[in-house]
Amino acid sequence: MSDKEPDNTPYQGPVALLTRVEKTYHMDSVSVPVIKGVDILVRPACFTVLLGPSGSGKTTLLNMFGCIDKPDAGEVMVAGCNVGELSDDALSDFRAKNIGFIFQNFNLLPVLSAYENIEYPLLLTGASAKTRADRVPKLLEAVGLADKAHHLPGQLSGGQRQRVAIARALVRKPKLVIADEPTANLDSETGAAILGLMRRMVDRFQISFIFSSHDSDVISAADDTIFLKDGRIRGIKRKGAEASP
Amino acid sequence: MMTLSLAVRNLLRNRRRSLATLLAMAIGSTSILLFGGYSANINYTMHTEYVQSGGHLQIQHRDFYLYGSGNPTAYAIADYTKIIADIKNDAVLKDMVQVITPTLQFGGIAGNYAAGVSRTIVGNGLVAKDINQMRRWNDFNLRTGSPPFALEGAAADAAIVGTGVARVLLLCEALKIANCPTPEAETPSDGDKLPDDIAQLGSLESQPASKTTNANDAGRIEVLAGTAKGAPNVASLKVIRAEEQGFKELDEIYIMMHLAQAQQLIYGSTPPKVSSIILQLSHSEQIPQALERIQPILAKYSKTQPLAVLDFKTLNPFYVQTIQMFDTIFGFIFALIGAIVLFTVGNTMNTAVVERTVEIGTLRAIGLRRAGIRQLFVTEGALLGLTGALLGVILALVVSGIVNQMGLTWAAPGSVVPLPLTLTVWGEYKMMVGTTVGLICIAILSAWVPAYRAAQLKVVDALRHV
Repeated sequence: MSDKEPDNTPYQGPVALLTRVEKTYHMDSVSVPVIKGVDILVRPACFTVLLGPSGSGKTTLLNMFGCIDKPDAGEVMVAGCNVGELSDDALSDFRAKNIGFIFQNFNLLPVLSAYENIEYPLLLTGASAKTRADRVPKLLEAVGLADKAHHLPGQLSGGQRQRVAIARALVRKPKLVIADEPTANLDSETGAAILGLMRRMVDRFQISFIFSSHDSDVISAADDTIFLKDGRIRGIKRKGAEASP
Repeated sequence: MMTLSLAVRNLLRNRRRSLATLLAMAIGSTSILLFGGYSANINYTMHTEYVQSGGHLQIQHRDFYLYGSGNPTAYAIADYTKIIADIKNDAVLKDMVQVITPTLQFGGIAGNYAAGVSRTIVGNGLVAKDINQMRRWNDFNLRTGSPPFALEGAAADAAIVGTGVARVLLLCEALKIANCPTPEAETPSDGDKLPDDIAQLGSLESQPASKTTNANDAGRIEVLAGTAKGAPNVASLKVIRAEEQGFKELDEIYIMMHLAQAQQLIYGSTPPKVSSIILQLSHSEQIPQALERIQPILAKYSKTQPLAVLDFKTLNPFYVQTIQMFDTIFGFIFALIGAIVLFTVGNTMNTAVVERTVEIGTLRAIGLRRAGIRQLFVTEGALLGLTGALLGVILALVVSGIVNQMGLTWAAPGSVVPLPLTLTVWGEYKMMVGTTVGLICIAILSAWVPAYRAAQLKVVDALRHV
């Protein structure tokens, strides 16, 4: 792995691009191929859904988009950068700057308040106090939690926690937000509300979202839907176009 | 600042576990400091006793320390008054030296001939006024105090003996010494019985002696010693007091008298000499500087007599050995407690890493570098170490304060009086800082391995952890 630093020049092309990506998990003496030569392009400011049953490879692909996992073969480009060439530290910095994460279990830091959880990624990138004081309250308001700023995650409901997680993912204005089944642990009403919120965030902040789901109801909210099964793409549906294999 | 704040909150998150770890560290730290305080007090007590009795430095004939006990007079110092005057007149030494006093040591036989007993002794001629002044040295402000030297103001033929000497010479009754048994007189058996005529003659022979054993002669002894020229000489001394010397071997041979009396016994009409010149300084820290100043003065006399100056540590190897022993025990206790702290903190941090694996994955995913994860856990370990060690210092100060107020006493080896049991923790800043820093380092070391393991976790695996 080289120590090449990420390219910081403005990038206008696809937000993310997977080319002939393959991934196999090895457990003891058993090898399980989970991604088998996948090509995916994520368009800017689009709401992209990876749809498929359990074991279809959704999470593995999201991990590669999120630069927290590497393919065995193929290439991963995010924001114009071939992330496979980055060192671990450079990759951390790249994630801090370009990628936001929303997890199924919210994954908020339990010792930090809602405000501090949202502020934390900014502290990691050394944002000034002024920037933080300007951006965090706006996001809290955008996700409808202005009055819960000083609540700890343990004092918030599941839906509220996920709202905080969304705000945390957006606070650094990333190129791409990764959301792994963000509504799986929420009731259907709250899940729908969170989905609606994410959709609004895409439109408002012009940030690409890519998230996984096995619930076909989310298709209506998505710009692009990628159908996965057994580690292969079974179809891609872009809004206003026909599904293709 | 962010790492510190997060580390503090993480420690407060599982209060019971953090508290148990802190208590283990605090008790360990307290134990180290209390033993250190006890050890420090022993050091100060012994240091003070040796300086009070033998000063900081002694000027002797070069070979007196090694061979003098066999023939003290052969290694005596001539012209000692000039040497003392030179030291007193030295611009630097005069401000440092609190007492400078000559002593004469010799070997001989002491006898209580009225009681028909005698024994070999080591005699010491001293300047009583100087010895009394030396006994007041208390640079460490100890609560113990030496009794005044009874020879000051006493008659020229007065002597003080060890309680062992008094016991052997059957002086206990005359000197009113408590706990000093007088042996029961042996009853002669029939076989040992003398013929009547011889026994009658014997009783007549003993009558004049009985007459001389009046009140004035009670406690009077005769000391026989070889003069510098080799002839025998005798001094009749009035024992005014017996002082315990701590060690039985010394207690049964030690006699102190006025220097003039001792010099008269050994040198008679020839110019008197001394065995050593004792220097007591205002403070022990002045020893190196005083040594440096004294050497050129002694060099002036090197043509006539080779002289050396020795510090009290060289003269009293028992002191050095005792301090080294306590230092070794202190180090051993520190190592034991350090090992306990190492495993306690290590266990706490290991558990924290396992419990927070998903959190580690989250932090890494949102951009925290491996070093940041390491820093976070090491900071938590360091905070545990710092807090535990500081709690230990506070606890040790409180416990030592309570113990010091209880008025407990103990008997130190070689000490003749019960000593106050004092735990010198307050004021031992070097020990307190050293223990605190040591425990923090151990805590950091024990947090390092879990921290490294946490940092090496794969982000995907950490996020998947259940």
